[in-house]
This record gives sequence, C-alpha cells and structure tokens, in this order.
Amino acid sequence: MKKLLGGARRRAALVGGAVVVLVAAGAGTWATDTWPFDGKDSYCWGAWKEDSGPGFLSREALDEDNASRTSKETAPTPRRQRGRCTVSLHSERFSSDGDKVVEKTEVTVDYGPAPESAARRMEWIGGYLGDRAMPLPDSLPGVSDGRSGLLVLPKGCDTHDGRPTAVTLDSTAESVYSDSTMPGDAGLGGSPSVARLLVAVANHAMEKAGCAPDQPLEVDSPVLTLPESRETFFTRACRIRGLELGEEAEDLAYQVGPVTRDLQSCSVRQVRGDGRYFDALMVAEPRLSALFDGATGSKAPARGWRGTGVFADTYKVVRADCAGRPFTVLMLAPSLHETRPYFAAFANAVARRVGCAPVAPVAPGGSDR
Amino acid sequence: MSDSENDNSDERTAGDKHVPLHERRRPWWHWQRLTGSRPRLGVTMGVIGVVAGALLGGAGVAWQAEAGPFADDRACWGAFGQDDAAALFEGRTGGKADVKSSEVPITSDRTGAEGSSGQCLLTADGSRITVQAHQLDTRFGGAGDQWADEFLSARLTPLGGGLLGMASDTRAWLAVPDGCIGRPRDADVNGGPTVIDMATGWTIYDDEVGTEAPDRLARAVVRLVNHYMAEKGCTGTIADPTGRMPEPPRFLDEQKDAMCGVKGLPLPRGYGSGSLGRTLVTRGAGPVRTCDRRVLFHHPELRLMTVEDPRLAMLYERLSRDGAKDPVKAGDQDGYGFVRDDMGMFQAECQTGPVTFLIRADSARRPADIRTLLPRFVAAEADRIGCGPLHITVPAKG
Repeated sequence: MKKLLGGARRRAALVGGAVVVLVAAGAGTWATDTWPFDGKDSYCWGAWKEDSGPGFLSREALDEDNASRTSKETAPTPRRQRGRCTVSLHSERFSSDGDKVVEKTEVTVDYGPAPESAARRMEWIGGYLGDRAMPLPDSLPGVSDGRSGLLVLPKGCDTHDGRPTAVTLDSTAESVYSDSTMPGDAGLGGSPSVARLLVAVANHAMEKAGCAPDQPLEVDSPVLTLPESRETFFTRACRIRGLELGEEAEDLAYQVGPVTRDLQSCSVRQVRGDGRYFDALMVAEPRLSALFDGATGSKAPARGWRGTGVFADTYKVVRADCAGRPFTVLMLAPSLHETRPYFAAFANAVARRVGCAPVAPVAPGGSDR
Repeated sequence: MSDSENDNSDERTAGDKHVPLHERRRPWWHWQRLTGSRPRLGVTMGVIGVVAGALLGGAGVAWQAEAGPFADDRACWGAFGQDDAAALFEGRTGGKADVKSSEVPITSDRTGAEGSSGQCLLTADGSRITVQAHQLDTRFGGAGDQWADEFLSARLTPLGGGLLGMASDTRAWLAVPDGCIGRPRDADVNGGPTVIDMATGWTIYDDEVGTEAPDRLARAVVRLVNHYMAEKGCTGTIADPTGRMPEPPRFLDEQKDAMCGVKGLPLPRGYGSGSLGRTLVTRGAGPVRTCDRRVLFHHPELRLMTVEDPRLAMLYERLSRDGAKDPVKAGDQDGYGFVRDDMGMFQAECQTGPVTFLIRADSARRPADIRTLLPRFVAAEADRIGCGPLHITVPAKG
C-alpha cells in the first residue's frame, strides 16, 4: 500500500469506493425512511403528504377503479399575496345493482386577505365562523367544523391597508349516480385533522409569501369541545332571551356553535332546504376580530347604539368596546327589512353574558328581560 | 486450513487414548482440558460463541417482544411504567414503592348502552389507587350523583385550559376530549361524558390541600387520557396542565352576607363560623364551583354547587325534572327545578347550555333554610357565570 496504486487496482478501488458509498447511502435512507423517490406525492406547496393521515390523502382512496388524485396549485409570492391549491379525487365504482357511480371529492385551500368589499367580507366571515364551526385548539385564531376551516395568520402577513391574511379550507364531496347526486364525506378526518391541515398549509404558504414568523405555527392539543346537536323543537332560539321566534319556529332549526368569551354563534335555518333565517355571531378574539377592521363604519348605525356599525341590506354589524377588547356582533339574513329586534336582542344578551354594558338601545322598562 | 484439519484428526485420537495423567484427573469441563490445544480451543470457542449468540439473540427477541425478564410491567392499560406507578405512591409509602397492579381492559358491551369502561387497581404496601374509565351515567338512580359527591367535591381544583377535569390531593378526573370520541349526546340513554378518574383514598378533611399531590394526580390523569386517545388513534396530546391550574381551594372566612363567598347570600342563623368544621370553596373558572360546609367522612353537611359545563350538568337533567317534589317557578323557558326538605335544585337553560344550581343537605332537619337560600343562590350565581338575570320562586311549604 505504500506504493501508489497501479491503473487496474486504482480503478477497482474507485468502483469499490463508489459501491460502498451507494450502499451506505441506501442503507441510510432505508433506515431513516427518507428515500427521495418513495413515490409519495405531496400537495399544496409541499404541506400535505400522501398517506399522512386523512382519508382523502390516503393510498386506499386510489384503490377504486379509474381512481385518480390530481392537484393544481398557485403559490403566493412576496409580490403576490394570494395563492390557491386544489386536490381532486375522482373514482368510479359499480353499485350493488350494477349502476356506475362516480365519486368526486375536492379540497380547496385559499391563501389571501379578507375580501375588501364589506358585504362580501361579512358573508365570508359568517360562512366560516357560523353554524357548527368551533375554535381550533391551542388558542389558534381560527375555526373548523370538520368540512371547512379558517385560520387567521400573524400580523406580519397583514395587507398594507391592515386587513389580516387568512388560510381557508373548503371541501366538497359527491356521489354521482345515473339519476341523482348524493352529498358525501370528503374524508378530511374531522376538525382535529382539519386543524392540522390548516396549520401545515399556513406554514408552507407563509414561507412562500415571505411572511413566516420565527416560530412556525403549531397545533398539539386535541379538540376539546364539539358543538351540540341541532335543535328543531323550540320557540326561543339558541336559549337567548329575546330570540323568541313564535310560530315561525315550527319550520326552523337552530344550531348553537361556541359560547365562550371569544366567540359565540347562533344559526337559525329552515328545516327543509337548509335556507338561512339568520346567522348571529359575536367575535371578541383579537385576531378573528381584526377580520372586521375597516368594515364596521365610523359612527353608530342607528340611534341609541353604542360603538360603530353598519346596517346594510343583507347584514348588520356593530363594534363596541367591552372591557378593553373590541366586541363585534354580526347578523346575516337574506333580508333584514324585517323590523323584529332580533339583532338588538342578540347583541345585548351576549354583551350581558360576557359582562359588558348593553350595545343596542334598551327599551324603557325592558332592561331585565 | 489443511494444517488444522490434520491437527484435528491427530488430536482427536490423542485426546481419546493418550490423555496425560494430570489432565485425566481434571473433570472434562476444566478450562485447561477445554483449551489444551489449538483445535480444542477452537471447538470450545465455537460452542461458547454459538451459545452466547443464541442467548444474546433470544434476549434481543425477548427484549423486542417485551417478554420474559424484559416484560415491561406497564400498569393501567400501558399508561404507566414502573417508575410512574411508584411515583404515584410518593409520600404514602417509605422509599420507592413496589407497585402491584391488576386491571380490566377498557371495553364496551355489545350494545354499547353502557359506554366504554375499565378498571385498574394499583397497590403498594397497603396503599391503593383505583383508576376507572367509564361513561358517567346520567340516569336517575345511576352513579351520577354519587360520583359527583366524591369527584366534584370542593377539595378539587379545575384543571383549567378548557379541560373538563379536576384534581385534588386524593381525587382526579378528566373527560376524554370531544374531538376524539364525539360529544356526548343528550339523546343517549346515559349521555354523560366519558371520563378517567383516580382515587387514592381519604384525607383528613380539615387539612389544607397542598399543590404537590394535586399536581401529581393531574399529570397522571392527563397521561391516562393521552394514552387512551393514542390507543384510539386520535390526534393531539393534552399538555401538562399543572402550570395553569388555579390555586387549591381555600377555607373561607365567611362573611355574614356572603355565604360560601357568594355575594348577596346571607348566612342563615345557626350556620355561623367558628362552630364545627370549616367551609371549603373551589377556585378557578368552571367547570364546577362547589362549596362544602362541615364535612364528615367526605360527606358535607351542606353543599352549594354550580355546574357550569353543559356536558356535566347533564348528570342532573333527569333529577331536575322529577315532578314528585315541589317544582320551583321560573321564567318561561328559563329552566326546571324543585325543592324538598334536604335538597333544592334548578337546572337553568343558559346560553352555554344547561347549568345546574344545587343545594343539598345531609339531613332534612332545616328545610326552611333550603327554601330561603335557593332563589338567592341561583340569582347570584347566574349573574356570576353570565346566565342572569334569573329569578325563581319557591312554592310555599304545603
């Protein structure tokens, strides 16, 4: 070995060395399970990996005939603070009576600021925060109902005009039969899983957009509370005094969402067809509350109201101070030309619950009820 | 190689026929006989190697499979290792406890009507800790009220952080999060939450509750629930709650106009301070505020309790609608309740859901006090938790 290696020997040594390196690297990737060509796809800017948990990302989802999972994505950039990604599942099967059934699932993530137009923004907020949505674990400023969800990103991602940026997740699933279409389950794995999907995609999107915080967002805790079931037999909606709906309640159902110091929702729907009667919402959590910034007007919406607000055709919103925190109440309804004081009743009942002065004008003598 | 083969054959004959005298005196397993020559040494080493390898390999397999001497004596469905279990007995037995455990796995019956349940018993030097997993039974006559007696006593402190659970120096309980097993439904026969609870025995009730023992039990019960969730394949881990737990309950120096520290609740005559026993009140915000007065053998002479969490208030749903007693009057749709000689309760329909207000005495000796206290207690507590205004009237004693 003291002599320099001759030609043939040197070649052998080189080949041997290369083999050793390859084998070692292979063994390493095998041991650590980091093989770069493992055939696992990833979606939404690398945030979600195939087989990482929820059903719609699983391998089994592709076991059916003609099954495919495709994705489209546009990443946000530091110059363009918008992004969207869509994961679509498509499969075919034959039902027991031989009919062809096409299963379609679509999961869409949007990254971007809250809508600029006030009317659209209220609808957008109500859509995610209302109905069966419950807060995300670990005090993250967001909600999920297991089919969709919203997460407000840290201040560093706010737009120049001060609107917060959010990540939203929506899903649709349907089974198309030859003669009908049935809604299905998108396989997101429930709200604990949606919380994790949102946090993963938020971290990757913020990285792309150049506004990632020093510490990535994290979710460790389980979802502690799920919403109660829908109530169809009632006259007082959501157990809130003043929301007595009388005979109209016969065709309606109410859904109570969270009832905390940070968030409260009460949705009243038609039993048939699920049409909206009204959605009432209270938001006090600071980052969720920031979603309303710039859209709650500059003066009282009507005589006797505290704070500022706007009464528009399809929504009423009021923001007032409550023990040093902004307290925002919103009501969405197909038409608010109705004169019944549901919004005022909701606003004052919730204000009283969290220990604040009334927001709506109090009828003389009616302060107690 | 060929050399040693020759050696081998030579040696075998030599070994059999010409063993030197000094060697013959030695038993066959003497090291000098076993290693007397190179071939013999080789054979010996080979045998030792195979035996050692087999032992090591077997041990490795046993270790992997956690069998034999490597069996991991994990207690309570695998949630506690030996050290964890021993730590639970800290201060109860001298030195490190040698803990024995036995358990019934957590299963549900075929119909699922009783929910999941299982038991685990830990014993060490005459001390015992009982761990139970079960769905709280909300049926009248079910275990609900008896369970509440022990596990909602004023000695317990809420775990905080939105958790449905509490801990004291001898008791701890925690509900399995809704996100894992769903929210208990009032439509179920027994719509109570599924909880894991621990009981370590009794203490002298007049002692102050420290922080060390409740912290230890709080961590243990969180560990049990985390383990249960992991077994169920649920995502999420509950963090150690001890940092954010409220202070342990305090013995009250009651004011005349604030019985149990409830402003506007005058102390009835004969309940003055300084007489027998002391008054203990839960701290922190929900799920339960309990005030126990003059406790004997874990049974308070008088208990005033507010159960704020709707999933727990379900325990009293059926009892509150029991029409055999004198029903109390309340605003339309505000709730139900009744009074009787040893008990008064009101189940309110608050924005958060059902809330239970309960006054219970250990005897029927002072029925008038219960009738006087209930409306004021309900009004004051309803205001405190954001369910006010709530005015109820008690029927005249007939």
